[in-house]
Amino acid sequence: MKSVTEAKLRPVIKPRKGHKFLPYLRDHYLLYLMMLPGLFFLIVYKFLPLYGLTIAFKDYSIFAGSNPIDAIAKSEWVGFQHFERLFASSQFVKVLLNTLIINGYKIIFLFPIPIICAIMLNEIRHVAYKKLCQTSIYIPYFFSWVIVFGIFYSLLGTYGIVNNALAALGYERISFFSDIRVFRGLLVFTEGWKEIGWNTVIYLAAITAIDPTLYEAARVDGAGKLRQIWHITLPGLAPTIVLMLILKVGYILETSFEQILVFYNATVYDVADVIQTYVYRMGLGQADFSLGTALGLFNSVVAFILIVGANTVCKKLLHRSIW
Amino acid sequence: MRKREKEITNKIALSTSEKVIVVISYVFMGFLALCAILPVLHVVSKSFSSAAAVTAGQVLFWPIKPQFETMQYVLEETPFLNSLKNSLIVTGVGTVVSMLVTIGTAYPLSKPNFKGRKIFILAYIVSMVFFGGIVPAYMVVRSLGIIDTYFALILPFFIVHFNMFVVKNYFEGLPESVEESARIDGASDLRILVSIVCPMSKPVLATVAMLYAVNYWNNYFHATMYTTSTTMQTLQVFIYNTINNTQTLVERLVIGHYTNVSIDGVIAAVVVLSMIPIVALYPFVQRYMIHGITIGSVKG
Repeated sequence: MKSVTEAKLRPVIKPRKGHKFLPYLRDHYLLYLMMLPGLFFLIVYKFLPLYGLTIAFKDYSIFAGSNPIDAIAKSEWVGFQHFERLFASSQFVKVLLNTLIINGYKIIFLFPIPIICAIMLNEIRHVAYKKLCQTSIYIPYFFSWVIVFGIFYSLLGTYGIVNNALAALGYERISFFSDIRVFRGLLVFTEGWKEIGWNTVIYLAAITAIDPTLYEAARVDGAGKLRQIWHITLPGLAPTIVLMLILKVGYILETSFEQILVFYNATVYDVADVIQTYVYRMGLGQADFSLGTALGLFNSVVAFILIVGANTVCKKLLHRSIW
Repeated sequence: MRKREKEITNKIALSTSEKVIVVISYVFMGFLALCAILPVLHVVSKSFSSAAAVTAGQVLFWPIKPQFETMQYVLEETPFLNSLKNSLIVTGVGTVVSMLVTIGTAYPLSKPNFKGRKIFILAYIVSMVFFGGIVPAYMVVRSLGIIDTYFALILPFFIVHFNMFVVKNYFEGLPESVEESARIDGASDLRILVSIVCPMSKPVLATVAMLYAVNYWNNYFHATMYTTSTTMQTLQVFIYNTINNTQTLVERLVIGHYTNVSIDGVIAAVVVLSMIPIVALYPFVQRYMIHGITIGSVKG
């Protein structure tokens, strides 16, 4: 009762429909205040580095100014010199190819597995067993790459369980972490170990959303399990599959970086060095800031095209946007 | 008559193939579950086995001659506890900061008549799809003078764009009427957000908080890039260094007369100790992460 009388006494604040900004700001200044920390982050950590990209076109010396950002302004412009140096180097071609090959392998070998797993998991009728499998397979998803590295180091190290088994069977020990013939395989396998379970759960969620009456109708028509999977489950999963594939391709330059940074070492640079790891090593490790930034800029531009492209395809095909 | 016979045989044939599919499913999924669990069990066993058993490669999936000296060594003689402290601080403070910043950004952006909404959203999308790069980001952090501080580890994740958009989309889907009545009662925007909007969005906020926490806890790259001293290293950096600097480890073991502690045992112990928080929170993590998939898919 009290609130009703109060509301009557107080002038009712109508949402202002006009285009006047100042009155709106006066009424809703709190909305702008609460956005400030986010804007601070946006400007300092996202937009200021965009200014930093000019390092790619300058002869940058970190000591030219009072701080690294100030030094950018005081460094000499050199045009596309660093890009010429970059594109002419054999390293550039190598890291570009490695990026494409490693992520290509991952998509080819790993992408279909979770789909199959989700269909299989869906066939398991024993609830407790299904739950147990489901819960177990995606535990690795929550481990950091460093932990995954530690686990596989334990398993695949020179005197790890796998090599001991190989030795016992009379085979030679394999240096999984330093043999260029197997290292990419290791990257693909560990990625699979970490991610397959989680992706399976994503597909499983999509399967559960399929209308069960479709299956009943199919059963009445005499369709067996395989036909049901082919004609109902897979078409039902199609949007999710397409979405996941588009995302994978769109983020092809971003993924794998932390994994490789943790797993690789100097002996496997030839097969494992990707754009981002090279940028990190050159740009910060060896303090070739301009070259690192130039390659980083190349990476960002290509990534931008890929992601915006992926989003466009997403909108056209699935009528939904990544953001 | 013949047709019916055919139908019956057909049915039998189908059910056999169905059985095969089901059996394969049971076996294969069980195999996959073992693939996920056994490696973990292996490191756990190693971390509690005697040095001799570890070095001889006898340890499989159960500790042999169980001992706690390896764990004790890691806890007492290595910077483990210090790096654990760092990781806990970064994850704890970071998650709270990220949630406040994310909610504070998502709420205004979720209001259809918020002035400047389009520009702000565009700014966030631009910064999401175009990344300045590792080197310029490092320059900024260095210019701010926050290298080797907790702040440097939190700043990069103030907002993870995807999370912010998930929250924003969720806020947009809430019924307008509840907020409207609160506004008539004279509640401010902040008050409405804190006492009406947030409580209504508990599940999505819990999921996003979880995503942030896991992200902070697991992050290795920023931690190694933005910290330089041993006292500031996080758990992930510490584990990485332990695995890659076995030489120092050997020396320490010899000097300290740890006869029942092996290098591989120490590495396993370090990995196991850092898995504990994730595994302990797993039921909780799991519940909200599964929920996260569904909110992700609602997004239109």
